Amino acid sequence: MGNRLAESILLLGFVGIGATLMLALLKAPSVSINAFESPDAQRIFYWHVPAAWAAFIAFGILFVGSALWFFKRSNLGWRMHVAGAEAGLATGLMTIWSGMVWGSAEWGVPWDWTDVRLNTFGLLTFLALFLVLGRQSQPDGVETRDTFSTFGLFGFVLVPVTYVATRLWQIRHPGPVVGGGDSGSLNGDMAVILLIGAISFTVFIIGHVLMSMRITSLEQRLESLQEAMDKV
Amino acid sequence: MAEGMTYLAVAYLGMLIAIGIWTWTVFSRSNDLQQRIEAVEQTILQSSQEQE
Repeated sequence: MGNRLAESILLLGFVGIGATLMLALLKAPSVSINAFESPDAQRIFYWHVPAAWAAFIAFGILFVGSALWFFKRSNLGWRMHVAGAEAGLATGLMTIWSGMVWGSAEWGVPWDWTDVRLNTFGLLTFLALFLVLGRQSQPDGVETRDTFSTFGLFGFVLVPVTYVATRLWQIRHPGPVVGGGDSGSLNGDMAVILLIGAISFTVFIIGHVLMSMRITSLEQRLESLQEAMDKV
Repeated sequence: MAEGMTYLAVAYLGMLIAIGIWTWTVFSRSNDLQQRIEAVEQTILQSSQEQE
């Protein structure tokens, strides 16, 4: 029952993301041709911003899970840590890929090594990659979990730094479009599509986290069953 | 203009396929583990029945 619910939420999020893409491509209003080098490419924004939002949720789950494991030795916390790392990797890669597509069209280069936000977000995604690959290559145990949880706890520092980066050091990445004052206002249609995107990505990330937590639980159950089988 | 939209449509398609593959791997990992658990449970059950 729980498995079906998680699967349904994940599928619903995926369908919502697909719908957001279609709306962004076909329904979103065009922007002034003078404002951008590549005005069509700005439609990436309807994917990029919600993906980054979902990534922050995933990194939040990673942080809470890491803290619960590290300080409380909670098994649920460890499952949250694993799920947060996997979901953070997925949405982090989506954000980076969409940003690079836009950067190539608008700036002429996919990445700017001098921009603080790009680099801190890149580091966050790299952290998620390290946690996902590291867990797969290490035997499960208290020491392994402690090590990865420490990275999850300290790595979270990059989330607020990434969030405020364009406010403090505006180098190349555009400033905030929501909650950023008059310069960041959106028109009605744009805001509606962005909202649909944010909801879809949030539903997707919730489904992904629930599925990942279930997978970790199944892995642990399989391991204990195999140990029991060895004893028979 | 058309060139820009083609570039965008290709990028969108790539992203949608990538997220589709990722979602599929999550489903398939879950199903695979479920099947392996059922197989191990079946083996344990058979072994214990044979011992009896």
